Amino acid sequence: MGLMERHRQGHQPMRAAMNETVQDRRWLALTPTLMAIAGVVLLLLPLRLFGGFVPTPIIPLAVIFFWSLYEPDFIPYPIVFLIGLLQDFLTGGTVGVWASVYLFSQWLILQQRKYFLGREQHVVWLGFSIIVAVISVIIWLEQSLLTRTLLPYMASLWQWVVTIAIYPLLSIAFSFLHKRAIMEEE
Amino acid sequence: MEILGQFRREGLGRRENRRLGLIFLMALSFSMVLFSLFGARASVFEKAREALLDISEPVLSVLGSPIRWVDARFGDLSDYFNVLDENKRLREENSELRAWMHEAITLQRQLDYFRGVLGVELPEPADYVDALVIGEVDTPFQRSMILNAGARQGVENGFAVVQDAGMVGHVVTTGKSASRILLLTDPSSRTPVVVEGAELEAILVGRSRGQPALTFFAIRDPEGLEAGQRVVTSGAGGVLPRGIPIGEIADISDDGVRVKLFANYAGTDFVRVVKYRFQPDLTQVENNGADGTPSAGPSADEGGNE
Repeated sequence: MGLMERHRQGHQPMRAAMNETVQDRRWLALTPTLMAIAGVVLLLLPLRLFGGFVPTPIIPLAVIFFWSLYEPDFIPYPIVFLIGLLQDFLTGGTVGVWASVYLFSQWLILQQRKYFLGREQHVVWLGFSIIVAVISVIIWLEQSLLTRTLLPYMASLWQWVVTIAIYPLLSIAFSFLHKRAIMEEE
Repeated sequence: MEILGQFRREGLGRRENRRLGLIFLMALSFSMVLFSLFGARASVFEKAREALLDISEPVLSVLGSPIRWVDARFGDLSDYFNVLDENKRLREENSELRAWMHEAITLQRQLDYFRGVLGVELPEPADYVDALVIGEVDTPFQRSMILNAGARQGVENGFAVVQDAGMVGHVVTTGKSASRILLLTDPSSRTPVVVEGAELEAILVGRSRGQPALTFFAIRDPEGLEAGQRVVTSGAGGVLPRGIPIGEIADISDDGVRVKLFANYAGTDFVRVVKYRFQPDLTQVENNGADGTPSAGPSADEGGNE
């Protein structure tokens, strides 16, 4: 939506050209979906970073966060749902856990979108960390309920730390792709 | 047309649709959680899991090979620096193992003799399926691995999976060409074990990244437990064979008994799936085994596996 607004304000004559680029946009709209799927596959690969000490970061969450913030049209709810479902099936967990968690996190992001748009990157990063913290508590509660034991919370801390730590890198890569998406359109 | 489209995309109706869609999808995923909790394993989800495992098998195999290559190069590098120490350690271990070998041969002879005297009938030794670890789920609350062997290679749900050092986990989902194993450290993993020396039966419970804990059946205090005692599968329940080494008791405290696993997960690339079927009656095995088929009749097997 942000993109649309920019168009309306600055580039009135662009409107006519947009019909031709709808096709391009449709293809570019697949970028976040494909990257989230790649993130799910990465979660499955036996990467064993630093001798298995560092868990694989949850990249799909970063993808959902970034694209929900800057281009929510590219990553609608059904896609987020399907990504979560794919992760549920491939990781062999209880079906619906990640689907609901990803949906909820996207809803959270979309609620706070107006605040984060146009802010500096480290503010956005802080926002991401807060969302990650909220999600990690939810996942912990959900899994504790499902296994009917109080699971050790510290176990999950590492993965979230790694996920937060890798976000700036991912965000640079994503903004590059995002800029390309805008340029192709113009 | 374009402008109309814009209005439809950004107008109030679209926002309302989005919200409805979110509520619908949230409800759907929650009902899926409930369904998978109460709808048993043999549900439509299990079929989907199997299908997705088979689809992901070639992808993971291809993507995993460069990772294994890099891992191997790092292994080479550390081997190069440790070669002298390693050599010394291996030589010591070798001489120790030689002594063990002779003792094992002597014991095997004695055992054969006693078996002959007593006329014991033993089940066929277990068959193995060798498999490569192509995937690993290392999220805090899920610990599982994906193997590149499935039903086509003879893998079935419930089979134990071992590594050279000890047990790794057991098969929970079997596709045609890939299978998923639940590791002993997964919070939902429960394995019947026996503590050697103390002869105590217990259940090994996964604790995610921490060491798995032992839960005892009896209310009385578990006596005779000491750190360093070996923990092996007990075979209770008939799903796993008896005597697969799992680990040793690491720590006994008020919080419980923790077990240090023999298997090193971070270094697990190749594993063996133990094809084991519970044989309720050994004489039946003998009768069936005479014509060369090791299976003890399908009906008896089904009963044993449940």
